[in-house]
Amino acid sequence: MASAPLTARGIAWAAGDRFVLLDLDLDVHSGELLFISGHNGAGKTSLLAILRGASQATQGSVALNSVPLSEVATDYLAKRIAVLQHRPGLYFDLTGLENLQLFSSLIGRPLTDTEAEALLDRVGLPREAHHRRVRHYSRGMQQRTGLARIIASKADIWLLDEPSTGLDPGGRETLSTLLRQATDAGTAVLAVSHDQALIAKADRHLHLHDGRLHDMTTQQEAL
Amino acid sequence: MTALRLTWLLLKKDLRIAARSREMLGFTLLFAVLCVLVFAFGFLQEGTAAEGYVPGVLWVTLLFSSSVSLLRLFAAEEEGGTLELVSATSAGTVPLFVSKVLVQLLFTGLVTVVVLPMVLLFFNAELRGIGPIAASLLLGLIGQATVGTLCSALLVHVRLREVLLPLVLYPTVAPLLIGGVKVTALALAGAEGTRDWLTLMLVFDLLFVVASPWLHGRALAR
Repeated sequence: MASAPLTARGIAWAAGDRFVLLDLDLDVHSGELLFISGHNGAGKTSLLAILRGASQATQGSVALNSVPLSEVATDYLAKRIAVLQHRPGLYFDLTGLENLQLFSSLIGRPLTDTEAEALLDRVGLPREAHHRRVRHYSRGMQQRTGLARIIASKADIWLLDEPSTGLDPGGRETLSTLLRQATDAGTAVLAVSHDQALIAKADRHLHLHDGRLHDMTTQQEAL
Repeated sequence: MTALRLTWLLLKKDLRIAARSREMLGFTLLFAVLCVLVFAFGFLQEGTAAEGYVPGVLWVTLLFSSSVSLLRLFAAEEEGGTLELVSATSAGTVPLFVSKVLVQLLFTGLVTVVVLPMVLLFFNAELRGIGPIAASLLLGLIGQATVGTLCSALLVHVRLREVLLPLVLYPTVAPLLIGGVKVTALALAGAEGTRDWLTLMLVFDLLFVVASPWLHGRALAR
């Protein structure tokens, strides 16, 4: 098994007086495509927030290469972990190209116009949309641009919350290919999703239920 | 990448967004003009001296209109969910804070350029003591932009922030308001004594210019 750059041990998290996550352990391995599913309110998004250090677990700890997340500098974390949330993380009054170049520059990995154009082509954003404001994009086009931002970050861990949201069948196929290309290059990908077609391509599938993770890969293999 | 370069990148982005959406400057200017008109209708009576109202009307208008742009200062980050992304730079949250202060300063500066002649015209006042008035406006706008940006950032995820922002901002910048009104009144009357009030405003600005980026960073900390 490849190394696990991101590890969570004994994670518990409470919303008010109700525990949503209970004593949860998780290793995110390099080169692995890991999917987590679960019903609404199961705590998937909260788990992602804890894993990227945006939210504090009630109990337990998360470590990046064995260093507790609380001790990792924010800018270093931004270079190592790329996050795609429900909202695509884009400025709506900038174009797709401008967004990509801005965020790449902010983390110290600037892109030339040609590089940025090539990335937007790779995620399947139509050429004519590159110079249009994101406000005028469809939800699927915003998601593709968000995905281009993740690729441009060159982070070695991707945390994706419902990455297929708004994507048409072609877009889902592109997403699936891009995720596999990333894991082949050694990136650790953890995605939260309900998309069964996408989950079917996972190396590992965990189901979050009653605050605990259940390994569905072994169950499916046994069946 | 240096903090200065990061600040420039974020400032350029904000100015580009402001130029495209136009809503922030447009609404702020409109509100400021309406404010002056309302004060003019409320205070002006035939046969009474109006010049005495100038300092109060000018500073209250600037304070009220600044809160209009402050409420929209982080709107682009909220809409696209980018606050976390632009906060995680190699220079921490300081470039984000400084770029927002500069944007706010630019907007309130433009509003001042429109409002000052309007107030002088409506209240039939002659601009005397331009030096102290310009200094007080500069210090007042810097202080308001710094404290305002801090309050706006602290309240960015708070429900009812439209109500809370003035409740937090106005008492905090009261020393600036008092100082600005006093300096303007003394300067228009051709009187001495503006130096003490300008010193008060300078001390206020120094305190908040130093402390605010740190407080902002603490507020956005993981």
